[in-house]
Amino acid sequence: MKKEIGSFVVGDSTKCTGCKACEVACFTVHNRKSNHVGNTVGTVTVPVTPRLFLTRFEQGCMPIQCKHCEDAPCLNACSKGAISRIDHQVIVDAEKCIGCKDCMQACPFGAIALLPYAKDGRLVAQPMAEEPKVFASKCDLCAGIEGGPACVKVCPHQALRLVDPEAEREEKNIRAAESLLLTKDWR
Amino acid sequence: MNYFVKGNPDLCIGCRTCMIGCVVAHEGKHIFEVDPDSYSFNPKLHMVKTARLSVPVQCKHCENPACMAVCPVGAISQKDHCIVIDTDKCMGCKSCMDACPFGAINMTVQTGKVQADGSEKKVANKCDLCYGLPGGPACVRVCPTEALTLVTEEELGDAMERKRMEAARNAYRETHPQE
Repeated sequence: MKKEIGSFVVGDSTKCTGCKACEVACFTVHNRKSNHVGNTVGTVTVPVTPRLFLTRFEQGCMPIQCKHCEDAPCLNACSKGAISRIDHQVIVDAEKCIGCKDCMQACPFGAIALLPYAKDGRLVAQPMAEEPKVFASKCDLCAGIEGGPACVKVCPHQALRLVDPEAEREEKNIRAAESLLLTKDWR
Repeated sequence: MNYFVKGNPDLCIGCRTCMIGCVVAHEGKHIFEVDPDSYSFNPKLHMVKTARLSVPVQCKHCENPACMAVCPVGAISQKDHCIVIDTDKCMGCKSCMDACPFGAINMTVQTGKVQADGSEKKVANKCDLCYGLPGGPACVRVCPTEALTLVTEEELGDAMERKRMEAARNAYRETHPQE
């Protein structure tokens, strides 16, 4: 069946220990080609820019990342057309992003951060500004990267899950239908 | 207590009339006159068919709804014995869909509405007990085998009371065999 809505990754705060392996893996796989990042610290010449954000809160911690909303406020708020839906996922074009911060304000999850933009192992400078170019950094479900979401694969506690919402909904539907057999004589 | 509609798998024949009744009630009869390809058919209940049964599954209108708790924009609320989604507030984040243990929520295309990049706008869709519509839940009315029932607080309370009395009578007979 044709997949019609976007998948997303969710964290589980009951399993997460806050080790940030997900953030590091995310940065690594997204910067292998563009910034020559390898598997050791010595290969990293640019700031670490994850697309999901380990979040500590009163009761524990968990990574927060994009839900790839079906009426995405970030996409609708972007005046530059830098955010678009590709294969059901909400994707930022870092080259187009002008760092206006509208998407950050529109997202109710805090799933976007403006982080330094680097190419070829170097930060991209702006001639008339002290600060380098930034881009809206958010989860793209590792689009175009072999093996699917790196955060899910790397988590040592299996605290991250790739959700196929429609497939899971159908499974839950079947369980709900089966349980109606148990309650059919409720009167 | 919220009301809810429940299906009886013994009576359901899987004809999907409930799904059509649902769409007609929510969208109006004009759907019979439009080009089917231009229209997104979005019933708020889901027919489940397995080797053992056929029955529609829909929202249970939980008293402590997981969907309502997880919605980041306050688009899900309780109104008049019913949990309803404000589709204008919904931005399709699918958190409710993930939270619902029954699979009662899906994401549906809003006919005629698009996002800033021209792609389809999809929002959460689930049973609203035909909130604001005359005649009560359409699925219950149209089912040819009367397999769907609207369960109210009164009915459920009465059934529980009956069962308790029956249990008490049985227990009494156990201890007073000669009566």
